[in-house]
Amino acid sequence: MTVAEYEQPKVILLVEDSKADIRLVQEVLKSSTVAHDLRVVRDGLAAMDYLYQRNDHLDAPRPNLIVLDLNLPKKDGREVLAEIKTNPDLKRIPVVVLTTSHHEEDIQCSYELHVNCYITKSRNLKDLFKLVQGIESFWLETVTLPHD
Amino acid sequence: MANLVSQQDQHLQELEKLAIHTTSQIQAYGMVLVLAEPDLSIVQTSTNCHSLLGISAQQLLGESLESIFDSFQIEPIKEQITAGNLDFINPTKLWARLDGDNYTVFDAVFHRNAENILILELEPTDSVDSISFLSFYHLAKVSINELGASASLEEFCQVIVKEVRQLTGFDRVMLYRFDQYNHGDVIAEDKRADLEPYLGLRYPESDIPQPARRLFIHNPIRLIPDAKAPVVELYPALHPSTEQPLDLTQSILRSASPCHLEYLHNMKVGASLTISLIKDGALWGLIACHHLTPKHVPYELRKACEFLGRVVFADLSAREDTQDYDYRMALKEIQTRLVDEMTTSPDFIEGLMADRQGLLDLTGAQGAALCFGDRLLLLGQTPSESEVKYLLQWLKGQALDDVFFTQSLASLYSDALGFKEVASGLIALPIAERNYLLWFRPEVLQTVNWGGDPSHAFEIVALNNQQVRLSPRKSFERWKETVRLNSLPWKPVEIRAALELKKAIVNIILRQADELAELARDLERSNADLKKFAYVASHDLQEPLNQVANYVQLLEMRYGEQLDEDAAEFINFAVDGVSLMQTLIDDVLAYSKVDVQNAELALTDSHQALDRALANLRRRILENQARITVDPLPAVMADGTQLMQVFQNLIGNALKFRTKTPPEIHVSAQRLDKAWLFSVQDNGIGIDPQFFDRIFVIFQRLHTRDEYSGTGMGLAICKKIIDGHRGQIWVESELGQGSTFFFTIPVGGAERDRRRV
Repeated sequence: MTVAEYEQPKVILLVEDSKADIRLVQEVLKSSTVAHDLRVVRDGLAAMDYLYQRNDHLDAPRPNLIVLDLNLPKKDGREVLAEIKTNPDLKRIPVVVLTTSHHEEDIQCSYELHVNCYITKSRNLKDLFKLVQGIESFWLETVTLPHD
Repeated sequence: MANLVSQQDQHLQELEKLAIHTTSQIQAYGMVLVLAEPDLSIVQTSTNCHSLLGISAQQLLGESLESIFDSFQIEPIKEQITAGNLDFINPTKLWARLDGDNYTVFDAVFHRNAENILILELEPTDSVDSISFLSFYHLAKVSINELGASASLEEFCQVIVKEVRQLTGFDRVMLYRFDQYNHGDVIAEDKRADLEPYLGLRYPESDIPQPARRLFIHNPIRLIPDAKAPVVELYPALHPSTEQPLDLTQSILRSASPCHLEYLHNMKVGASLTISLIKDGALWGLIACHHLTPKHVPYELRKACEFLGRVVFADLSAREDTQDYDYRMALKEIQTRLVDEMTTSPDFIEGLMADRQGLLDLTGAQGAALCFGDRLLLLGQTPSESEVKYLLQWLKGQALDDVFFTQSLASLYSDALGFKEVASGLIALPIAERNYLLWFRPEVLQTVNWGGDPSHAFEIVALNNQQVRLSPRKSFERWKETVRLNSLPWKPVEIRAALELKKAIVNIILRQADELAELARDLERSNADLKKFAYVASHDLQEPLNQVANYVQLLEMRYGEQLDEDAAEFINFAVDGVSLMQTLIDDVLAYSKVDVQNAELALTDSHQALDRALANLRRRILENQARITVDPLPAVMADGTQLMQVFQNLIGNALKFRTKTPPEIHVSAQRLDKAWLFSVQDNGIGIDPQFFDRIFVIFQRLHTRDEYSGTGMGLAICKKIIDGHRGQIWVESELGQGSTFFFTIPVGGAERDRRRV
């Protein structure tokens, strides 16, 4: 691993339609120790455009981590997950589902679609801090991911 | 006793075979000449020839007919006999010269018996002229005109008996009708005013035994002008060629059977005339004329009566068909009324019961029972409720068709002996499994008005030298034996009415089932919608709540130091409120997810379910320093997740409502007759018994949230789960004494089929 690579901020793609939640993640990440570049898209179609670098996202850098909400406008989070995980180019990008839903079916379904990790949004702000930092440190610092 | 009965039976069987038609005796009011063909010489004669003709029987034998009657009378008769046209001669008048100008006029009738033997019957008469055709016509016309088209069968019969009595002058004229059992009902009567009425009485079949009935059919008019007159023998007693007694079936003069004469004597009848009413080749009834003293009815007048009988009976039988038709229509009308009631009433059984009399009249029953599932309704005269229940049990064991009926239930089902007075006759209409409609009829002995008191009206059994004579007294007894344990028979039209009602009920049930299925489909749809709603609501409600919670907390984190004490408290209230709202949504969702319909019942180790609950509660158990003890627990038919939820809620409550002493919770189970009984016992604060029911109701809480947190849904969820398993849940407790929650899970799983017809 070169220094340049090391210093390269990690690109996190947040797929989330709620403005409040986006802001909250941004707030939490402010205290992050990992150099990151948070990109945000608001719906499922935009997420796919970003990943395929098309339309408004021609220059979009490939994300190191995707944080995905399940209930999204236009294209559902489950569909987005399914498409990423069946696309040979995209399937290696770790996807963390971060959602309010703790329905058994949603959890089951997400893992069947090969999600890397399913996390229920905490109702406690302090827990949320821990959570987002946890995601960052685990997926962006701890885990060794394959090179493209 | 048994021997005596069988001996009597044997005698009676012999009586049945008695050949009362072959006899060598005739009545005294006429004479018989048995002729040989073709010369018409006399081979047998009745011994009263001497008193009527002045010639002895011995003298007459071998003589030709011309030796008594002038040949100018006999020649044309011979021609017709040779041509085989007896109808052209009968009846005819014959003059016999006694001496000089002294003649006797006879009504003469020729007939051949079954053995083709030619018989001439002669009856002395005063009238020389025949009743003219016009007189016959007049007779019939008067009678028929007297009847309006609308007259009932009974009114019609009444006119017939009145007319016959006027014509003949008998003291009493009755019209009998025979039922399926050949018992006779007196349906019309005209009599001398001073005589006791017989109208409405019923005479047992044995009063007119089978052989007599056959004679009535062959010989539609029978006269016994003097029941006490001595009989006249034939000479010789046996026919010379056949060497047998003569078959006198069609003879007018044939002597009445001793039994019949005895019967007439018993009834104090001196003379009788009987006109047979025959419908479709069977004896429909009789017109019976009785006179207290001997009475002769001239041949011509008898013929007129016979004619009247035939003419009016044709009309009468048409009327009877109409009456049957009317009865059918009447039943149809009742049926329509019942069906209307059933369809307009929200509950068709109530509808049926709304017209109780109609329900009985539909089959002409005196009692009825409606059995629908566990409901049993009785009306009219019926066996007791428990007797009907046993009867239904028995019926269920029989392979029944569309309808089951009997007029002698006791002969099939011996328990019915106990209630023969109300239910010797039964119609059972199996409608669907567990659904029956029953109609009852009493034993016939209870219903009928017997003709006379047999105990003193008739003589005791008469036996002489092994020879049995039919005794009216005994025949009545025998008749009583045959009808005992029987009801009046069900008419085909009544059975049909019952069947049609069944069709209507089945249609109504099917329609209601359709409506129920439609409702169930609607419910299913709205249930699915609700489930979706619950899911969406929980998710979509949670998001903004999280948002509020998070931002309030963010506010506190970032600006906490700048806030005063009030602001800090406000923020706390906001956070608490949101948190409660979140818990509520979780619980409502949990409650709505207890899906009774789709619970997957399987053999579940209840110990495992408990362990999972304890694992979920691990943190709280540690915090509370609770001690939990568990007895061995059984495997039960249950939905494992739901059972776990029940344990979790009950133990959670035990942990929550604790006293200062650390919680001690004991879980155990014991086997009852049809269920497992689980108990969760604690040493907590206890519950005031007045709240025992309230605590299982959704959102019912006994404490403020400051005292004990929670939404008041935990026990409601438990109840819903246990209900879904067809078990029961309850609590035993006292304030300060701890609580024990009990719940049952049926052995072998819940009764899944919840449908009710």
